[in-house]
Amino acid sequence: MKKSLCVIFSGVLLASCGSSEEIKYEQYLVNGEQHYLKHCSNCHQADGSGLKDLYPPLAGSDFLNNKELVICLIRNGMSGEIKVNGKVYNQPMPGNKQLYELDIAELTTYIYTKWGNSKEITEVSSVKKTLGECKTKE
Amino acid sequence: MIKNIQFIFVFLIALAAFSCSDSQRKLPYLGNKQVGENGDTVFHTIRDFKFVNQDNDTITNEAYKDKIYISDFFFTSCPTICPVMKTQMLRVYEKFKDNPQVGILSHTIDPRHDSVQVLKAYRDRLGIKGNMWQFVTGEQDDIYEIAQKFYMVSAMEDSAAKEEGGFVHSGAFILTDKQRHVRGMYDGTKEEEVTKLIKDIQLLLSEQP
Repeated sequence: MKKSLCVIFSGVLLASCGSSEEIKYEQYLVNGEQHYLKHCSNCHQADGSGLKDLYPPLAGSDFLNNKELVICLIRNGMSGEIKVNGKVYNQPMPGNKQLYELDIAELTTYIYTKWGNSKEITEVSSVKKTLGECKTKE
Repeated sequence: MIKNIQFIFVFLIALAAFSCSDSQRKLPYLGNKQVGENGDTVFHTIRDFKFVNQDNDTITNEAYKDKIYISDFFFTSCPTICPVMKTQMLRVYEKFKDNPQVGILSHTIDPRHDSVQVLKAYRDRLGIKGNMWQFVTGEQDDIYEIAQKFYMVSAMEDSAAKEEGGFVHSGAFILTDKQRHVRGMYDGTKEEEVTKLIKDIQLLLSEQP
């Protein structure tokens, strides 16, 4: 009796702590939010809604369907016209050369969790691979 | 004695309530004050100006005659504080856009890039209509001079400020009364400061009906 209680108790303890994978995910979200508030929210707003017809939204944006392109844009920026949800925007976005691959992984994890219906980490290794294949490199 | 203390107590509370009440608050006059010929105080005043707006019309101080107006300095390709400033200025616009006694004047500090056409596209995309909010350009030196000497904010070109887009400028919103005296300065990147600005505009409107 005592033994089984003990087993149940330690089981509860373990579950409440979560797996290391979950902790890593939480950490990515917390850091990703910091990066977002520092580098993105001035234009795209803290709630991802964008600003009128100047800056496109991230929330509910069809542009998020192409994660590779999003990762490349975060690093390299872009200028010229861009179509989001059928609407054309034309305001240059500066690149963020100073961000490490880990920063971009955390940022992407945050953006896709918040607005991309995702519940998983964007790994550093996949960011690294994507950045190596970006079309617009300076 | 106790009665006396009670009286003083009540008096103090009344005094506190009175001095706190918003309608009694008066906005200060900012900038240098001088004594005029007949001993009057002459307050710091924005000089006459002449700029070109988003429709290629000339905008002078005459356009702001009998208006309370709010000024700021920005540039359209600014990646840092300007979008936040515009988000906040939109709150002021939404609140007072139908009031003919209130105006907004946004100066570009990058006239080389921010042509009339660029300003118009930017303004249209922000959804601004009517005459209430003007976006103006002009000679760079003229804009920097009025910013620094009259609106008392920093605005300059600085190629070292790469992350800021090559310009250094203040994010201030400057509140000017109907006589072009500066009556308040607010950080246009902070929501709570702009909430205060909106309150102060209402206060100034009741002071200068």
